[in-house]
Amino acid sequence: MRRLKNLEPATFVWVSLIAVLLLLVALPMGKLLLVSFRTHAGGFTFANYIAAYGRARYFESLLNSLLLASETAAISMVMAVPMAWAVSRTDMPGKPLIWATVLGAFILPPYLGAIGWILLAGPNSGVINQVWRFASGASDPLVNVYTFNGLALVMAFQSFPLIFIFVKSALDLVSSEMEDAANILGASTWKATLKVTLPLVWPSIVGGAIVVFLESVALFGTPAIIGIPARINTATTQLWQFFEYPVRVEVAAAYAMPLLLITLVLVGAQRLMLNRRGFVSQTGKGGERRPIQLGGWRWTMLAWCGAVAAVSVIMPVLVLAEASFAHAWGRGLTWENLTLANYRFLLFEHETAVSTIWHTLWYSAAAASLAVVLALLVAYIVSRKLMRFAGLLAFLAMAPFVIPGIVMAIGFYATFAAPPFALYGTAAIIILAFAARFLPIAYANASSAMGTLHPEMEEAARILGLGRLGTIRRITAPLLRRPLLGGWLIVFIVATRELSAAIFLVGPHTRTMAVLLYDLSEAGNFEVLAALGGILLAITMALVGVGMLLLGRDFMLRRA
Amino acid sequence: MLILTKRQLIVGAASATLLPSGAHADSLPPHEQALYEAAKKEGELTWYSGQLQAETGEAVGKAFSERYPGIKVNVVRSTSQVAFQRLAQDMQAGVAQCDMFSSTDYGHYNFLKREGKLLPYRPANADGMIAAARDPDPDNMFQVFYIGLYLIAYNSKLVAEADAPKSWKDLLDPKWKGKLAVGHPGYSGSIGVMGVVLSKMYGWDYFTALEKNKPQVGRSSDDPVTLMNAGERSVGMGVSLAAPLLSAARGNPLKIVYPTDGTLAVYSPSAIPKNAPHPNAAKLFMEFAAGTGYAAVTSKYFIMPLRPEVPPPPGAKSFADVKLIQATPAEIEDGVPDIKEKWRDTFGV
Repeated sequence: MRRLKNLEPATFVWVSLIAVLLLLVALPMGKLLLVSFRTHAGGFTFANYIAAYGRARYFESLLNSLLLASETAAISMVMAVPMAWAVSRTDMPGKPLIWATVLGAFILPPYLGAIGWILLAGPNSGVINQVWRFASGASDPLVNVYTFNGLALVMAFQSFPLIFIFVKSALDLVSSEMEDAANILGASTWKATLKVTLPLVWPSIVGGAIVVFLESVALFGTPAIIGIPARINTATTQLWQFFEYPVRVEVAAAYAMPLLLITLVLVGAQRLMLNRRGFVSQTGKGGERRPIQLGGWRWTMLAWCGAVAAVSVIMPVLVLAEASFAHAWGRGLTWENLTLANYRFLLFEHETAVSTIWHTLWYSAAAASLAVVLALLVAYIVSRKLMRFAGLLAFLAMAPFVIPGIVMAIGFYATFAAPPFALYGTAAIIILAFAARFLPIAYANASSAMGTLHPEMEEAARILGLGRLGTIRRITAPLLRRPLLGGWLIVFIVATRELSAAIFLVGPHTRTMAVLLYDLSEAGNFEVLAALGGILLAITMALVGVGMLLLGRDFMLRRA
Repeated sequence: MLILTKRQLIVGAASATLLPSGAHADSLPPHEQALYEAAKKEGELTWYSGQLQAETGEAVGKAFSERYPGIKVNVVRSTSQVAFQRLAQDMQAGVAQCDMFSSTDYGHYNFLKREGKLLPYRPANADGMIAAARDPDPDNMFQVFYIGLYLIAYNSKLVAEADAPKSWKDLLDPKWKGKLAVGHPGYSGSIGVMGVVLSKMYGWDYFTALEKNKPQVGRSSDDPVTLMNAGERSVGMGVSLAAPLLSAARGNPLKIVYPTDGTLAVYSPSAIPKNAPHPNAAKLFMEFAAGTGYAAVTSKYFIMPLRPEVPPPPGAKSFADVKLIQATPAEIEDGVPDIKEKWRDTFGV
């Protein structure tokens, strides 16, 4: 009894925090593992694994995903590394354009980009192919989005920002002295760049590529929208098929396990790589950094960056905007084809579209708030070493990073859908899933912010009699307001476009815009879909604008 | 109910009285008035639908709410197989959120009925429907408000009328290589039925031959309409009658073909799940769907009306003038899962 009396109220918060993390992260994954070995009657079995991998087609789907993701990562690397180098190390003009591109590619939801590219590169009707045929008189298409390479390219257009951010922040830490040394020893600028600068940031290039690989393996929207017409089955579309009647959660769970294993191994590899990154930057001496004078090559580099901007953002957004104002997108830009009908249909005639917009906003806001609060508390415990097993908490907070969104959704469905939780079809299950899925983003953000805060201010408050929780509320959180708001906005934005975690969890009263977009894409209703995408983009841009005003232009692209 | 006969499709009830479609709530017939009072307390219903296009479904919801103010219809439109997938997910999770389930796969209803998952109800207004829709199930576990006709359509700018395909068989001609578009039986219920019927007529060889023409495979049976409007593909296979006619009415260059070897008729039930959270609103919706109001609204969107008072939409033939091909409920229930598997093996997705 005495010991209980001495416990601070904060202790109960810590204990409940651990419980929440176990519930949100450990339980769904544990349940998924369990279910994958279980028969309907509850016994132990390997049959689910045999069912999941017993057909050549199922196995090929996984193989397709791995190949596709590798190709996507390779293309992303080719796109992003020169950009990152040009922005970080050279006197190339037009750097704000590059920032805008990277930001634009980051906030454009992947499935919208995919539809933009169908409109651009459909073999017969795509804008690019029409122009090509008109200009060259050829009858064969120039580009075809419905191919394996087409799919990989479109996915790379969507994911190269991740590599850019990794590599640019690593390059920012390389001082010019290294290059100077190479130059003195007779190396040309190019040679110094290729032999000295890039090898120094090699770990972050590979690290970024691994993240792109993982994101691509777990992607659902783009493979469903482009892959089905292209006749390419992937692991995620296959997982979806296991949810056809009869719903085979246990087979889906078994099918997901290798995916989880691959992810774990790769994240481990990436950690090893990135840990070696430190050796350049931590010299303690302020190395001088001078932009490399590129001369005429400046324009070559700018052209490359401009090309990436065109294919990843400008072109798809333009065709989507055109489609959203068109009666029929194939008829081109004419007066008779212009209409507001698609927007009118969504905003005034569609019984549920407006409510999906509202759902999207408040689920995302709730999830972002929950994630930021959890992340702040965990980061606080870890950085102030308040518990013996603080490291375990940090691990739990970061663990969802290795779980593909669609796998996480299946885990959530298996855990929370049925009684005793019975959360299926409620807002809660979606908010919890979003919060858990994006907890790592919030945690990385909060923990780097905590690192900037010396404990002495908290100690002062404690000496003056404020309790632990009061200190966090009155001292720590206000001091960290800006970075926490930044983390909140990033989680909010990625949550508004999240499809793969939502697709199995929404009910008729809890549909989000991403799911409605997916439903619209089923019937090939691209004009209305583009209009809904336009609304989603407008909302996101407004929020990014708010973030920039409050937090500075690069708040979304800082590497935590 | 097995195969529909011409007679059942044409003959209306002898005592058919024309209900004014815009009848206001205070002039409702007594059986509707009683239901309406009970349904008003529920306030809404949720309709999982794979039958009508999104826009048509929303228009039906609006018309319902106009006739019965205070009751909102949440239309959850998807392909039929996805609608069933969601219903099955609900059931597995033990959650009730669907009040009306409408799909184009008859097998769903045989299954749900066998499992005891349906609430029996026969709308009184069904007496005025054409014979084929009057009593689809002896136990009244499901009703029929939609008989989908699925046929061939083409882009008339890209294909001259004389060159257009006349039959399903014509689609195998190599001249259509790279020009066809079709839905997917894993998503669309009617494409599943099309698979059952065409493979019954011509064997699965029909589809292996079709695959050689490299049709673009979408998801919904109406996917090809968008592709034809854009000029991405010139001929759509197994599209509903309604989608190309509606699209053509809006200025797109589309024409339909009733295939000489038969137009696919898909007899598409609707049912109320036993655990529906708004059963009275759902029953009222059935009364509405069996009445003339529904037939009048949907025929504006080129759906074939099942009320004798409402004429077929412009550009469509009456049931009597069309050669129909169909599958029996048993053939559908046994055949569709098999078709999905074969399709995935043949087409790769």
